[in-house]
Amino acid sequence: MGVNSYLPKTLKEALEIRKDHDTIILAGGSDLMVGAFRATGVTPEFDKDVVIIRNLPELKGIKKNEKGELEIGALTTSREIASNPDVPWILRQAAGKMGAVGLRNSATIGGNIANASPKGDTPGPEYLLDARVVVESLDRGEREIPVNEFVLKLKTVAIEKDEIITKIVLPYGDDDFDNFFYHKIGRRYANAISKLTLCSAIKFDGDVITDFRVATTACGVKTNRSRDVEKILIGKKRYEIPSLIDEVNAQYEALLTPRAMPEYRKYSTKCMISDFLMKVSNNTAEKFNE
Amino acid sequence: MDKRIEFTLNGKKVFVVTDPLNRLLDVIREHFGLTAAKEGCSEGECGACSVLLNGHLVTSCIIPMGAVDGQNVETLEGVRETELGKIIVDAYADGGAVQCGFCIPGMVMATYYLLMNNHNPTEEECRVGISGNICRCTGYDLIIKSMMLAAERARRILWA
Repeated sequence: MGVNSYLPKTLKEALEIRKDHDTIILAGGSDLMVGAFRATGVTPEFDKDVVIIRNLPELKGIKKNEKGELEIGALTTSREIASNPDVPWILRQAAGKMGAVGLRNSATIGGNIANASPKGDTPGPEYLLDARVVVESLDRGEREIPVNEFVLKLKTVAIEKDEIITKIVLPYGDDDFDNFFYHKIGRRYANAISKLTLCSAIKFDGDVITDFRVATTACGVKTNRSRDVEKILIGKKRYEIPSLIDEVNAQYEALLTPRAMPEYRKYSTKCMISDFLMKVSNNTAEKFNE
Repeated sequence: MDKRIEFTLNGKKVFVVTDPLNRLLDVIREHFGLTAAKEGCSEGECGACSVLLNGHLVTSCIIPMGAVDGQNVETLEGVRETELGKIIVDAYADGGAVQCGFCIPGMVMATYYLLMNNHNPTEEECRVGISGNICRCTGYDLIIKSMMLAAERARRILWA
């Protein structure tokens, strides 16, 4: 016997279903439907009832909140994110390099974080920009969770059985940093699952570094980021960067726990960080670097 | 458990009583007999099953029918009856784009989606446009050429 599926028309209906039943949320389907596939012409197999929310209007779209932060509805697709100029460049890069044309019309930002795969494309920029995940339930309303606390471990997120991810909030944008770096290493241009992705950003006040961030995906069970490592550069001057790169790299490498090809992943991470920081130090970095 | 799912298929209101988890690809092929969309990889990567959902190119092998309820689906059978669709099909034939043909329905759908949104694509944009469609025969070059030919003809005939 197959499981039940629910087809809510509104967020309220969806939240009622989540409250009353033990369900899996199916958004774009680009991950869950692949996992549930059995054979041609055979109903995909799920081990729980499914609530299909792909078309819920309340969870789509991108807008600014009263604080000026960007709010991206959980069902906003990668195509919509990649093509919206209000979205920070680094997240547009990640969304635009995910899968290929057809997949980007299905894959959603909420699904990508709920999936909690270390190889996910959009979580890297979300970690870098201190994104918050907003979840909602009928009984407790909304609650906000920093993205690094939302992802608990591989394939596991801090969502309760009656909740739905409603949006991702980005407190930082392109104007908040002077230089950005994004580079995804995959085996081909399209349909590439990240082998390693580095996201970084740096901000100066005059010659003094006021903020520096670096996040890596596909290099451990979670996206890697550490404020302690970033503090090595914060407060230092631009000309001091070359003398500090080795310390940044050494401490950052200690965070990385790749399962496969650890030497390759650690070495490539080091190369990308050094490349970005040397360009910044030499004043040859663009605003956006790949 | 089966549910009644109503949607628009190639411009006509239709319904099907099916498990909402069944794949759009299986339903359009087996229930509606529209066999242009092909099953290739079954994981949304090869593009052989491409259709338009609410005007956007998607791989129908990862779309559950529950996500189609109340929505608008167009398959190659509908697209090839449109003026742009005819121009693309003719350009593929004239340009020698087709070898075994298995990927071609998806390629035509991706070409249609590209040209609907970009009347004057560069070769690079054509390559990105079909980057989610895998072809194991042609090496892509004649497909790209045919896409450029279709765009040129459409500019002359439809968008002048």
